[in-house]
Amino acid sequence: MNDYGWQDLAIGLRASFDVQVTAQMLESFAAISGDTNPLHMDEEFAKAAGFPGRVVFGMLTAGFYSRLIGMCLPGKRALLHGMDIEFKNPAYIGDSLSVSGEISYLNDAYRRIEVKARVMNQNGKLVSKATIRTGLHER
Amino acid sequence: MNSTEIIAELQPIFADILDIPDLKLTPETKATDVDGWDSLAHINLVVATERRYKVKFALGELQDLKNVGDMANLIIKKLSS
Repeated sequence: MNDYGWQDLAIGLRASFDVQVTAQMLESFAAISGDTNPLHMDEEFAKAAGFPGRVVFGMLTAGFYSRLIGMCLPGKRALLHGMDIEFKNPAYIGDSLSVSGEISYLNDAYRRIEVKARVMNQNGKLVSKATIRTGLHER
Repeated sequence: MNSTEIIAELQPIFADILDIPDLKLTPETKATDVDGWDSLAHINLVVATERRYKVKFALGELQDLKNVGDMANLIIKKLSS
């Protein structure tokens, strides 16, 4: 886990990690959220709807933005304020996702950080993009 | 650019962030007059204002502001410096 202080941060500072989506992740997300929509949970239903397999919950992939902020950028002292997300392409079980973010704005007065982030799949397709707003608390 | 013009430009920005489409800003408008103008909304308003005018506010400057008119005057001061 990173532990950036305010003085360590700069516009352009980046962080990234890779993660592979598993069926277990979908089961866990459905249990936590209560969303058991068959597009995500029923292979045959998803195929009948025109997809190659169960579609990963968009909010599951967006959950990786939480990891990006809470673990990487800025890490330990993060206090998430909000985010705007656009889902651009579906993700599927087995996909290898690359999650990355870059600081795009810093507000010194209130120690507000803005991060432009994205999730890409193994084929270079954009799964989602987000503008994330986070604060930085004291230890 | 005068204070009235600045406030007119701030109005749609504040209305969007505070989610009050018919918000009417006046020089006397202050946070306690507006539902939803809490500390987090305040940060969003300040950041949006900084970006709109390409200026940076110091914490001390922000702490001295009493209302929207003060904010407009601070923007004018920043733009002229």
